[in-house]
Amino acid sequence: MLDTDSSSPIYVQIAKWLENEIIDGTILADQKVYSQYQLAELFNINPATAGKGLTLLLEDEIVYQKRGLGTFVSPNGRGKLLVKRKEETLHHLINELLTEAELLGVNDQSLLAMIDTERRRKRRI
Amino acid sequence: MTVIKFDHVVKSFRTHEVLKEMSFEIKQDVITGIIGRNGVGKTTLMKMIVGFTEETAGRVEVFSEKPFNSLKVSANSIFVDDGMKFPDAMTLTDILKECARFYPNWDSELADRLIAYFGYHFDTRHHHLSKGKKSTFNAIIGIASRSPLTIFDEPTTGMDSAVRKDFYRALLKDYLTHPRTILLSSHHIEEIEDLLEDVLLVHKGIAHYHGSITALQEMFVTLSGKLETLTLHTEGKEVINESTTGPSIEWTLENNFTPAELSRMKADNILISAVSANDAYIMLTDQPKGGIDDVFE
Repeated sequence: MLDTDSSSPIYVQIAKWLENEIIDGTILADQKVYSQYQLAELFNINPATAGKGLTLLLEDEIVYQKRGLGTFVSPNGRGKLLVKRKEETLHHLINELLTEAELLGVNDQSLLAMIDTERRRKRRI
Repeated sequence: MTVIKFDHVVKSFRTHEVLKEMSFEIKQDVITGIIGRNGVGKTTLMKMIVGFTEETAGRVEVFSEKPFNSLKVSANSIFVDDGMKFPDAMTLTDILKECARFYPNWDSELADRLIAYFGYHFDTRHHHLSKGKKSTFNAIIGIASRSPLTIFDEPTTGMDSAVRKDFYRALLKDYLTHPRTILLSSHHIEEIEDLLEDVLLVHKGIAHYHGSITALQEMFVTLSGKLETLTLHTEGKEVINESTTGPSIEWTLENNFTPAELSRMKADNILISAVSANDAYIMLTDQPKGGIDDVFE
């Protein structure tokens, strides 16, 4: 369900929820996704707000619209999502890493050396 | 299509000007929340829309007509509040029967099912109902009438929290199958915000804010951190609200930062959090005189 305490707006949460449905294979490529009215009923929200969530996915071309038929998952929708999520997650982690390194006064060179050591250790296991 | 249009509308009671210059338009099939502090004229505004009172100056148009003394507006709208009067001699069944005769879109089956669900006896008289039961009954009439323009003024007064939830859910479900223009006033934004598409904020006699609820939810951000870093990152921007909790300072500003600015702030250990629609509303209507503490100084 939706997390009403979350700081992200509801329509962003709706988009995230749909993304998860596509990533875990609940809705497959070229299958129909929920309409804004179904989403409104499901999450007890205004259909316009639900529509904004769908628009986010349309803008990213994760889904496409067929006139009069509804909204469907793009053939490469899942792949796009995986790339997007990976980039977001990695960027986020690298940012945190850099913040911590700066706080501790670790320079880039030693940071890269640390990454290298860690990678080698993992390979050995 | 525009259903309600206000053009520089003024409403005064004797020498007291309640609404100074209201100008806004409400489109068909949108659910709009009417919000504002006590006594700003929300009820007056809604009563003008359905033609209960006449504007002092300016132009009010509902379904392209002046609503005061308009049969067209009366036939196509319903105004629900806790002051709805029904003849004392009528039982609930009698009232429902009259509603079916009066409202062309009335859904008898829905009305009966809601009445049964909320546990009414059909032979009860309206004036014998408790406060909460009265509000619930009036709200049922509001939903079942399916009026093209449906207005609820503080509909949940006296309802317990379970009934409130049920009422809003019933309203949404019926709206999804039978879209219509709905105005809803409430003091509890957090209770109605999910239901709304738009918000009309009445403040100091004007339409202080009229736009989507999502825009209101994203209007401000709160930043908390150390004074030096906050000052550095918000140079040239106006701090709307300031508070201190624990060792860090919290500043609320307009949410016009670029993603790059936001990530730089995060990197500088500034905590960024969203401002709820309710808090945004309070900030938009804050009195410059200060808080309640100042009264006791």
